This record gives sequence, structure tokens and C-alpha cells, in this order.
Amino acid sequence: MTDFKSLLRVLAERGVEFILVGGVAATVHGATRLTLDVDVVYRRSRQNIDRLVLALTPSRPYLRGAPPGLPFRWDTATVERGLNFTLTTDVGDLDLLGEIVGGGTYEALLPHTIVIQVFGLECRCLDLPALVRAKRASGRPKDLEAVAELEAILEERLRAAGEGPPAPPAR
Amino acid sequence: MTSPLRLPPPDPVIEAYKRDIDRSLIRENLKRSVEERLEALTQMQRLAEELRRAGRRAGR
Repeated sequence: MTDFKSLLRVLAERGVEFILVGGVAATVHGATRLTLDVDVVYRRSRQNIDRLVLALTPSRPYLRGAPPGLPFRWDTATVERGLNFTLTTDVGDLDLLGEIVGGGTYEALLPHTIVIQVFGLECRCLDLPALVRAKRASGRPKDLEAVAELEAILEERLRAAGEGPPAPPAR
Repeated sequence: MTSPLRLPPPDPVIEAYKRDIDRSLIRENLKRSVEERLEALTQMQRLAEELRRAGRRAGR
């Protein structure tokens, strides 16, 4: 089980520059669907990769779904050679993404983020329109319902601001 | 700076999915704080894990 609070704390307290995307970002914006891992886009600078490696080392990251005993080394060189990592850690499952379809890198996403205060921490999260764009661009059939929910949330927020389409009836 | 709050051009497939979205659930969730939403997600995950365990026990 993923301990969202601990995972965010591990990253934020070490000063890792990251942006919440995916299912947890959807939850932040009001989605009600269950998600089991944390997806983040991290800055690919040498300094940040060093911070990321230091932050996660105590939580023993390993490649999720890989057989035990592979010669996987969690260090700066490994992260620099790769881009996206699906990891399991002692505090839960974490997808570390160097970039995402429909959004790009940390730097490209940065103008489309909000800062949230949660569990006494400050984290960056992809804003709702950018999250919708990224989910649409991923084109995965499993995301269609998630996109529909995010767009419904966007409609509700626009309506609350007096700009949305007429409210469909609550089911 | 954030993205302007506006709807993307409608996609017929997504519009079809949207008809089945439970708006009342969304409206209730939007009244919660971000922290409350993440706490609810953790509880939901705990419940799902417990149900999976129960299913495995029953299948033995």
C-alpha cells in the first residue's frame, strides 16, 4: 500500500523539485477514483537528481514488477542514464517521470502548476487544464473515464465561477 | 502562472463517458480540502487492500 503522506514528505523535505501528475494530481483536483501509486515529473538537473537519489535511498527503491536480485543500483548514474522509472519503495509505489506525453519536461510543465499545502508540506501539482491535456494526449483507453471525470470537475469549477455550461442533473 | 480555466474542444467519446459520471460525488468532494481528499484516497486504498486480502482468503 502506498503511504502518500510519507512519500510526499520524503521528496519534499529533501528539496526534490517535482510535479505531481497522474491519479494523485487528479485526487488533488477533486477526482474520486482510486489510484495506487504516485506519479511525479522530476527536474532532470544534476543537482536535483542527486537530491532525488539521496531522498529515496533510505526507502530502498527497486524496479516494480522486476524479479528480485537484479543488479539494479539506485544512484545518480542510473537516473541520469534513464528517464522514466516505475519503482516500488518501502513507502509505496512511485513513478518517476522525466517527461510526459502532452506536457513534456519539468520545465515545460512548471508554468502549468499550482502549489498546494498538504500534510504541512508544499508541493507542486499539475493544474487541472494541463492534467486534462496530458491525460487526453496519453490516448490510453483506461484513461477515458478519468478524463471524463476531470472534465466534469472542470465544468463544475467553471460553473462555480459563473462561466460553465448548465448543470447536468446529479445522478 | 497557471493554465486558463477553460474546457477543451469536446471529444464525442469523452462526452459519452461523461454522461455516466456521478456529479453529486464530485460536488461533495469539491467541498473537501486537498488534505481531506488525499486522506480519503488513503482510506479507499486501505479498504481495497483489505477486500483483496479477504478475496484471497475466500479463494483458498
